[in-house]
Amino acid sequence: MPLTALSWLLLLLSALSHSGAGPWLGGSWPQWTTQLAQGAFVLGAFLYYRYQPSPLQGQAFIRLLRRLLTGPGLLALGCIGLHLLERLLSQDSGLNSNSILFTSIYTLNLGLFVIFLARTNYAWRALVLFRSSARLQREWTIFEVLLGATLLFRLVGVNPPNYLAIPIVVLLGLYGIYLSGHQKWVAYLSQREKWRAVLLQAGLLFSVLVFVQYFRVTQVDPQLIAPQPQHAFLLLTAFFSAFYALMGLLVTFFNMPIADVIEQRRNEILRLQRLTQIIQRGQTTAEVYHILLESAVQTVQADAAWLDLDPSHAGIDAADATQYYNLPPALADAMRTRLQGHDLPEGEFITNDLNARVGFEGTSQHYRSLLQLPLRGLHFNYGMLYLLKLEPHTFDREDLSILQTFTSQAVLSIENLELVRTSLANQRTQEELKIASQVQDSLIPKNLPTDNWFEISSHSLAAKEVGGDFYDFLHLPGRRLAVIIGDVSGKGVTAAFHMAQMKGIFHSLMQENPLAKNERDKFPVPSRFMAQANTALTHCLEKSSFITSSLYIIDYEQGGFVFARAGHCHTLYYHALREEVFYFESQGLGLGIIRNESYEKHIKNQFYDYSPGDVMVIYTDGIVEARGGDGTDEYGEDRLKLRLEESYFQEAEDIKNFILDDLNGFTHGHPIHDDQTLLVIKFKSAQPLPLA
Amino acid sequence: MKVTAQPSADTLTLLLDGELDASSAIVLDTELAKPDILNYRKVLIDCAKLSYISSAGLGVFISHLQRFQDANVKLVFFNMQEKVFNVFEILGLDALMTIVPSAAEAEAA
Repeated sequence: MPLTALSWLLLLLSALSHSGAGPWLGGSWPQWTTQLAQGAFVLGAFLYYRYQPSPLQGQAFIRLLRRLLTGPGLLALGCIGLHLLERLLSQDSGLNSNSILFTSIYTLNLGLFVIFLARTNYAWRALVLFRSSARLQREWTIFEVLLGATLLFRLVGVNPPNYLAIPIVVLLGLYGIYLSGHQKWVAYLSQREKWRAVLLQAGLLFSVLVFVQYFRVTQVDPQLIAPQPQHAFLLLTAFFSAFYALMGLLVTFFNMPIADVIEQRRNEILRLQRLTQIIQRGQTTAEVYHILLESAVQTVQADAAWLDLDPSHAGIDAADATQYYNLPPALADAMRTRLQGHDLPEGEFITNDLNARVGFEGTSQHYRSLLQLPLRGLHFNYGMLYLLKLEPHTFDREDLSILQTFTSQAVLSIENLELVRTSLANQRTQEELKIASQVQDSLIPKNLPTDNWFEISSHSLAAKEVGGDFYDFLHLPGRRLAVIIGDVSGKGVTAAFHMAQMKGIFHSLMQENPLAKNERDKFPVPSRFMAQANTALTHCLEKSSFITSSLYIIDYEQGGFVFARAGHCHTLYYHALREEVFYFESQGLGLGIIRNESYEKHIKNQFYDYSPGDVMVIYTDGIVEARGGDGTDEYGEDRLKLRLEESYFQEAEDIKNFILDDLNGFTHGHPIHDDQTLLVIKFKSAQPLPLA
Repeated sequence: MKVTAQPSADTLTLLLDGELDASSAIVLDTELAKPDILNYRKVLIDCAKLSYISSAGLGVFISHLQRFQDANVKLVFFNMQEKVFNVFEILGLDALMTIVPSAAEAEAA
């Protein structure tokens, strides 16, 4: 910028040196100083505006034009003012004295003109390149380079002969015309803005013409000594500035008739966007319908409308099932009755003269055109939209297709809202199941009984959040331990409830009976327990449900245990003295199968003495019925038995892990389809080892 | 799971084909819940093609057991695969229900 100012000053001085002020400036300066100063000034001014931030902010086209007119445009006014002032002064005084003034004003005007051109050019650049392709940007750069070249030619004093210079200038002019064709921004103006744009561009055009006229007049002025503004660069940029303004003006002007249509299309898009955004803002279905009705009416400029919704699908109250726009409900009722009275197509249709329509003949309807459009969902129709116009023949196929976009978007929004609601409900259920799972987890004993007489290791895994497997321990007086395992038929929440119930039954039945005469009868023996449990379950278990269970009472003072099996899986046992693994074969019916007193006949106690080193494996059918292989193979009792034969000598925890590793290897890649529970009890020597 | 009913004079034979699990149990339950099933003297269940039975499947038979007994309708299972029989046995149902090896014995039962 300072360089530009400096070069302008140089230009002024050099110009003055040719005028009356010559003697004071040491005579006439050589011609090249003027040329150089002028060239440098033009280059400086253009480069300065080139690297300014784009004058176009967003889509504020009008602001850009206004600033251009009130800034450089006013310069033109100033230019005329100076010119007139100079003329007045020259009339008053002699010629000689005002040659200095004339030259000064001329040079000043030249400066203003250059600044005006630079600003206009770069404002036009912003408009030409608005939403442009990379190709157009390249083309613009070429234009700039070519213009710069003409400036340079002049600067270095190369003056091509006219037969070469004129075609070059003409070609560049044509290039400028080509670039002037890029008036994309006009399409983004609203109707009101367009009028303002036309006026502003006319003003700019006027400014350019004022400048040009001024220079044309002064050029022939005999007083003009220097410098020559007739310069290919300035000529071209002035031509481009003027031509772009003219093109813009014409495009804007002739764009006006179609502006309506463009604006309408834009509004349609905006309404559609609004409808789409509703879902994101979490609005209600009623609001969606309301916006649909409103948008539809505005889009086709209907005079009245109503929307009939099916309350069973539309997700709204019956009271809101009909929405009216500018229509008395009674009139809508009358029309609906007439429409329904005749066999009309189910889908969309247009009636362009209601008075001639079947069912309406002879009636002179207030509204003449009717458009009917269903709100089609994936599985059913949500309702029907009716639009009315006073004039006949006003709806067309295109209206219908636009409205179809609207209705399908509305239906989509409704269905999305429904989805959101369902997924929220699902999420709540999931949360509740998680809580149920936590509650159930607390029912499973975390602290296994420990003593130096035995080791216990346990594992349990539910197929779903909650399961129907259970096990529990209870210390009884006299160094006895009760162990229970069970499996409720079925899975999930129902099974989980019965599992909790069974745990309660276990703890309440295993209470000391104060009336018992001898020590032995204080606690129920396993078979008695099963019979009592069966009775307790009679009224609360559904008919098709049953529970299998085994109860073991281990007396580790005596070194023996008694158990009863109520339909539960056979107990796997390793006998240390005989070095043999076997299943206990005992009879026993599941709980809840016979719901009367006769149940007790179907359950037996079995007594057994254990020796140190014996291992007892208790499990549910989720273990032996686990699927593997091709999906039909079951893990099976035999495989379980083999695993115990291979691992009986290990600690209880290791035996359990050994079996589980084998099981997981077997079921790898298959989903767990039943709850799994596994308990391993290993009996140890009857007396604790004395401390060494 | 496919359930085929073959009625004769006083006997209804139900052929079970496939796996009897929670979903297929509903099909069998509808069949057994029909009121006119109690008009037969005997209901024979042919288990030759029954490859698997879950606790839900057992539950169907258990839930109708009392009703059949009360109406004096005999429920007889036959041609049962060993794997399926094991399931009945573990639960103790073999002591409660009539399970015979062949069709001939089922007719005679």
